[in-house]
Amino acid sequence: MLKDITFGQYYRCNSIIHRLDPRIKILLLIVVFIFIFLAQGFAGLLVMTLFITIIILLTKVPIKLFLKNLKSILPIIIFTTLINLFYSKDGIVLFEIWKLKLTTGGVERAVFLALRIILLIIVGSVLTYTTTPNDLTDAIERLLSPLKFIGLKRFVHVLAMMMTIALRFIPTLIEETEKIMNAQKARGANLEEGNIFERIKALIPILIPLLISSVRHAYELAEAMECRCYNGGEGRVRMKKLRLHISDYLSCVVCLIFSSSVVVFNILI
Amino acid sequence: MSKVLEIRNLTHTYSGNSTTKRDAVSNITFSVDGGEILGIIGHTGSGKSTLVQHLNGLLKPTKGTVLFEEKDIWLEPKKIRHIRSKVGLVFQYPEYQLFEETVYMDIAYGPKNMGLSGDELRVRVEEICKLLGIDEDYFEKSPFDLSGGEKRRVAIAGVMAMRPKVLILDEPIAGLDPKGRADVIKMIESYNKAYNATVIIISHNMEDMAVLADKLIVMNKGALAMFGKTDEVFLKADLLRQIGLNVPIVTRVMAALKKKGIDVPDNIFTVDDAVKCLCSIKKGGGKDA
Repeated sequence: MLKDITFGQYYRCNSIIHRLDPRIKILLLIVVFIFIFLAQGFAGLLVMTLFITIIILLTKVPIKLFLKNLKSILPIIIFTTLINLFYSKDGIVLFEIWKLKLTTGGVERAVFLALRIILLIIVGSVLTYTTTPNDLTDAIERLLSPLKFIGLKRFVHVLAMMMTIALRFIPTLIEETEKIMNAQKARGANLEEGNIFERIKALIPILIPLLISSVRHAYELAEAMECRCYNGGEGRVRMKKLRLHISDYLSCVVCLIFSSSVVVFNILI
Repeated sequence: MSKVLEIRNLTHTYSGNSTTKRDAVSNITFSVDGGEILGIIGHTGSGKSTLVQHLNGLLKPTKGTVLFEEKDIWLEPKKIRHIRSKVGLVFQYPEYQLFEETVYMDIAYGPKNMGLSGDELRVRVEEICKLLGIDEDYFEKSPFDLSGGEKRRVAIAGVMAMRPKVLILDEPIAGLDPKGRADVIKMIESYNKAYNATVIIISHNMEDMAVLADKLIVMNKGALAMFGKTDEVFLKADLLRQIGLNVPIVTRVMAALKKKGIDVPDNIFTVDDAVKCLCSIKKGGGKDA
């Protein structure tokens, strides 16, 4: 039931991509995003497709999982494809229904945009499949650390701590929700039947206890943290220091080679 | 007395991939009669909670059947909600399920779900509160302003208000102070007597079990290790210790006395019995006890 919801979709295995520094992964993700958008023609996009295919194969994550992610945004892909099919008026008219004209230019554009969306989603899932949520928050904290020069030092630490705590408590709250649901079902709560308003009303006996227990958790956690002398980020050191290895530098170089070829194709064609 | 609830060869396997798949409870058979108090004891993780969630249809058995008044409760899966008002289940720490604005409304939630309304509902709530000693002054209070022990009593009353024929309580006295424990035990006893209801209690507290339970089930690693009358079960002290449980403290005291050469019987499980027994020895034999 609720337990089936996977959060942070980390897929445990040991690949080159898994071992990369999470900071590098986030930065390269941004770079790849930018160049996917910069590509103006099919040549550039195909280069990126090739690059991403290689990455997917390197992650050792089953392709099935990437397809599952794509499935969830399939409606969006279909919608944009349909709109773009009839939007462009370039090229040869293939056929005409009422006021809608299907042209070769339209088909080209629709396929191009669909491919772009698919690539964006897949690259995004590469990051979440190969990086644990904790590594991600760590990396975000480190990447945002330059903000301390403009007086936002506390902000960066607090943000990272909040993300870590939020991630930590998701399984706890799911478990709690299940318990409360069972308890109210035992008192005859009807969660499965009724119209939309009845169903929303039936959720109140679950949401209120859940809210109260979340607040209780928050107080307890705050007290426990204070008992262990937590005082914000001041003077805290890390057990696991993030260090860049040769593979990290190498991956940057490879990524830049592919990305710059997009620019080359843009200029040539 | 007739069988109210009968469990036949119940097995529950938690789904999951092949590595996490395991039987939480396996091949359990027992039955309870009307008006009986049945205790379930066992280690943490021995399958007690999983077992009782089958009795009111929150979990569906992977194998085996649960019969309520000689009818399979899963015969008509759509009517499983009716079973839940007849087999009431009080979860661990039931005070965390309180949600209404007032104590009265929270206790009325269960009966309301059964379709009661108006005077019928009011009478039902007032009756159960009178029986359990919850004063009418409490009715308009917010359940969140009560003390821990009071919250627990209101939450249990909320299930009892549905007037189930079988009442199941999962660790009803865990985490309460002595007064709170005594109050809850009194509630359970009065409910059992007033409606001749069957009560099933899960507990770690052997002393309370000795006082309350007519029969005991001992669970071990998802299987039924022992099932019998309370004194019969407590007489098998060695077997209980093997499982990692024990007999009531007073029984251990009596065993120690016996070792010292004082002639006391083996079947003393409650403090009251021990007092009676020791007094009679003192009067009769004149030995120091």
